[in-house]
Amino acid sequence: MIQTDRPIANPVVVLREEFADWAVLFNPDTAYAAGTNPVGVAVWKLMDGKRSLDDIVSEIQNSFEDTPDAAFKEIAAFVNTLAENGFVGFEVENQ
Amino acid sequence: MPTLNTLYFYLTEGCNLACRHCWMGPQFHATGNHYPTLPVELYETAIREARPLGLSGVKLTGGEPLLHPHFARLLEIVQREELKLTVETNGLLCTPEIAAEIAKSHKRFVSVSIDGTDAATHEWVRGVPGSFEAARQAVRNLVAAGIRPQVIFTVMRKNAAQVDAMVRMVAELGAGSLKFNVVQPTARGEKLHEDQETLYIGDLIELGRHVEQELAPRTTLKVFFHYPPAFRALHRIAGGDGCGACGIFGILGVIASGHYALCGIGQQVPELVFGEVGKDSLEEVWRENATLKELREGLPERLEGVCSRCLMKRRCRGSCIAQNYYSKGSLWAPYWFCEQAEEAGLFPPSRVGTRPA
Repeated sequence: MIQTDRPIANPVVVLREEFADWAVLFNPDTAYAAGTNPVGVAVWKLMDGKRSLDDIVSEIQNSFEDTPDAAFKEIAAFVNTLAENGFVGFEVENQ
Repeated sequence: MPTLNTLYFYLTEGCNLACRHCWMGPQFHATGNHYPTLPVELYETAIREARPLGLSGVKLTGGEPLLHPHFARLLEIVQREELKLTVETNGLLCTPEIAAEIAKSHKRFVSVSIDGTDAATHEWVRGVPGSFEAARQAVRNLVAAGIRPQVIFTVMRKNAAQVDAMVRMVAELGAGSLKFNVVQPTARGEKLHEDQETLYIGDLIELGRHVEQELAPRTTLKVFFHYPPAFRALHRIAGGDGCGACGIFGILGVIASGHYALCGIGQQVPELVFGEVGKDSLEEVWRENATLKELREGLPERLEGVCSRCLMKRRCRGSCIAQNYYSKGSLWAPYWFCEQAEEAGLFPPSRVGTRPA
């Protein structure tokens, strides 16, 4: 099995949407939570295990105006942080 | 052992105002200071002993700190030690000369309390005629000295309708920011709550939302509503809303009697006094005091009630342990604001969550 670059949201994590399109991600297994901005919410909703990080960044660039040049780097860092805290995994496939 | 970042000096047990909501309840005297003040030598001793523990700043508060008979000397020591300086004042004694002395500290933050947009309202709260214009003049004096102070406005039934106008007045005075505080039910504030002169919890939450989401975006003045992070919009928290994680692990109070305490609450609650300046080693107090150790080991996980379920507890740490202890006699009691909100069904559901047993 090898890990792909296709992130997948932990299905037990709950997205709680709040004012101005920000949201809280809550993991009931650990009682850990993380706040995220509207771009993070959009990224979260795209992490289905089918889209690669490149696909996700491309869709974000199409959905939001004035995305910065560093969008890929920032989104990758966001996804990695979520992964380190058990909110996200990466799809695996047979070699 | 955490770093002791800041000493909070409660310099005097007296005050030249008689504020209805004061959580310290100092003795009022209109002229002069006839109540205990912290001796300069104890102030120096505390700073000297705190330096090796990591001290980087002091807060000078009271009672009214500017009543201290050697206030200028205290400022000199802060400058000599190159410490960050915070001063909380009612402004009555903040002359151009004092403002200039404060301005000599390069890293300084000053707050001035003004509780209304007119003299009648402010002075109803503060109990002394002439205090409104004196506080406004203090802000002008500080601005003229190159300091842009924060104005602190404590919200109660009497002045809640002036919140919007307050933003305009404070901006015109040239202050740097405006913070709306909630009356704490401690000392005189407890009486104000009992007399129903404070706002109901639902009104407070709605006012906070109004300040954050409607007032703040419309002004260049920095405007904060000081309620627990569980109620604050995420974008405000992420943007730096003037109140970061609670600093309780790096703070120690020094009260006017010359004792170390959790904070100024030591003047109200003797069991939160931890030792005597100059007699007890500060390092030993900081390292070994049972209450401080208990807090370090127990916060936030031992918090009870709604605080135990709150997703913001690692940031908020019970909001105000001194207030919680005063109200319930327990370090782990939930914060009254959040408890009332939960009872009223107004605690934000997106901010609670527990791990399955």
